[in-house]
Amino acid sequence: MDMLHQMSRAYRPYDGSQGTRRHSMRPASKIALLTSAGLVLSLALAACGGDSTGPAAASASTKSIILITPNPVGTDSFLQLGVKGAQETAKEIGASFKLYESKDPTSIAQNVDAAVRAKPTVIVGISFSFDDVFTTVPKQHPGQSFLEIDSCPKAQAPNLTCVSFKEHEAAYLAGVEAGLLSKSGKLGVVAALDSPFIHRWIDPFFAGAASVNPKATGTPLFVGGSNPFSDPARAKSQAQTLIGRGVDVIEAAASGGNQGVFEAAAAAGAKAFGVDVDQCPQSPGNVIDNVIKHVDVAEAAAIKDIAAGKAGGVKVYGLAEDGVGVNALDTDLTSSKCAVAASPDVIAKVKQVRDDIVAGKITVADPLAG
Amino acid sequence: MNILELTFVASVLTATTPVVLAALGGLLCSVSGVFNMALEGQMLWGAFTAVSFSHLTGSAWWGVAGGVAATALYSAVLSVLAVTFRADPVVIAVGMNLLALGLTAFLMRQILGVGGTYTSPDLHGLPTLAGMGLDHVPVIGPVLGSQSPLVPAAFVLVAATAWWLRRTRSGLRLRGIGQHPEAAESLGLKVGAYRHGAVLAAGALCGLAGAQLALGNVTLFSEGMSAGRGWVAVVAVMLGGVRPLRVLSACLLFGVAEALGFRLQGAGLPQQLADAAPYVITLLALILAGAAGRRRRTPLETA
Repeated sequence: MDMLHQMSRAYRPYDGSQGTRRHSMRPASKIALLTSAGLVLSLALAACGGDSTGPAAASASTKSIILITPNPVGTDSFLQLGVKGAQETAKEIGASFKLYESKDPTSIAQNVDAAVRAKPTVIVGISFSFDDVFTTVPKQHPGQSFLEIDSCPKAQAPNLTCVSFKEHEAAYLAGVEAGLLSKSGKLGVVAALDSPFIHRWIDPFFAGAASVNPKATGTPLFVGGSNPFSDPARAKSQAQTLIGRGVDVIEAAASGGNQGVFEAAAAAGAKAFGVDVDQCPQSPGNVIDNVIKHVDVAEAAAIKDIAAGKAGGVKVYGLAEDGVGVNALDTDLTSSKCAVAASPDVIAKVKQVRDDIVAGKITVADPLAG
Repeated sequence: MNILELTFVASVLTATTPVVLAALGGLLCSVSGVFNMALEGQMLWGAFTAVSFSHLTGSAWWGVAGGVAATALYSAVLSVLAVTFRADPVVIAVGMNLLALGLTAFLMRQILGVGGTYTSPDLHGLPTLAGMGLDHVPVIGPVLGSQSPLVPAAFVLVAATAWWLRRTRSGLRLRGIGQHPEAAESLGLKVGAYRHGAVLAAGALCGLAGAQLALGNVTLFSEGMSAGRGWVAVVAVMLGGVRPLRVLSACLLFGVAEALGFRLQGAGLPQQLADAAPYVITLLALILAGAAGRRRRTPLETA
């Protein structure tokens, strides 16, 4: 999830004089001007700093990977996993690794330019934010391999490989667990934004629950506001609102806000689901399971293919390819701190539904397709 | 969906408290004649430092103390530049807000060792009032039980500030300095000292707001977690002017809009509309305040 990322932090210009007493403020002295200029400069540096690495010439003889993110990695567990996957793959195949963090989607093009000049083995871009740039740039540089994770432009060049996921299949499995474990039959989701992509975590979750408990009802609440992907206080408040309505199982699809949902569930004796990565250890006993997207696995496979000369095409990762899943399917479930480990009957049902989906007996509707 | 139900009141208070603490700081600055637009950045800084101190000392109250002290220190940037060097407070505030965003993200990796969200079972949050023996009291129990002691404290602080500004000599002087700094100076008042004091006190209050947000509302730090609450506080100060109770009402209005928004969303209102509710309310309040002001035709100075 998290694909829509933080909204650009817009600072609305306020008229400084409005609503305050007008007092004589002499024209700013030179010192004041200089100091404020210095302050602005220092924050600009702080904003660009962090661990983003500038473009550096890679030697042509060795393998190298450049990963470009559409936003600062920050709270985004999806991007964090993407970086981890690329880093580990680089180590495995003996390639050098560089991370270019874009400040926001508008600075992607500059980072892609810089990456092209460095001539790495493969340039990896994460999310649909690259659709635009990866439509044109790969055509201009036919000798360079590109990899787009989680999306694909409509006109795909032969030197561009795409990887996409069927998150809805995993969300459906989580819904099955929720439907079986909910006592009240009332489910909720606290999601970051009301966008079609994020509905991949919501609609199939409720559909999965309804498949095992026809009386189950679902209520989504959206964090929204000025920082939808990192507003734990608001996410917690929304989870409390849901619990107040009788909801006893909540899926947290609010990125940086998820921990707020877990806190609310823990305090009220409700249960929660995490997304993207294993979030059970964050609130042991209160998180039933997670809707997991193995970005790292898919990324590693794609990078290795490209390094071996097999580029191009779209690789779709669903339950069948182990690209998405839930912890209940893992063999080491007992060592995880997920609450579902205590319900073997639920695990058995989830495995059966997984097999049905893989075999094509159950088709999970994709909210993005409709 | 009962608006008067006690959990609704509780969620209004949860949403309002960080905003009202920051707005109280903004009000003090406004009274003294300094426009403080840096509330957002200071609240974020307060949240970060409170979590860091709680993490380092293992005590939530030391976290609060550390957050308050560190944010007062951070506000010294505004105090020195705007009061001593007479730079434009708006420019400095924009700088401070952006700096807080970058600096907390950077220091988080240094001090807490992670990026994004920091949470740990070892991180101590503020105790709830229920845990302090309030849960058996009717009405107050359900409303305040899940809240931290800073929630009632915030409302006490508003009342205390209102009384101080109205009833004490130093409060009167601060108001005088804001209304007519030259006159105050000619009476021998140290304008700069009062303004420094107001800005630093605002920093301390924003630190308290951040501590409540990160150790009271939730127990974690997440990048950019102030999420616009400081801006809401700035608007509350604009709406309420220099009157603490009006600023409090403005903050409560936002709290109600937010809590009501969640419930309306649950009833099927689109998220985008629920999101817009606080701003629609702000605009309406501004229009009403403007209309009332024009009717009275009173100059701003005697408001």
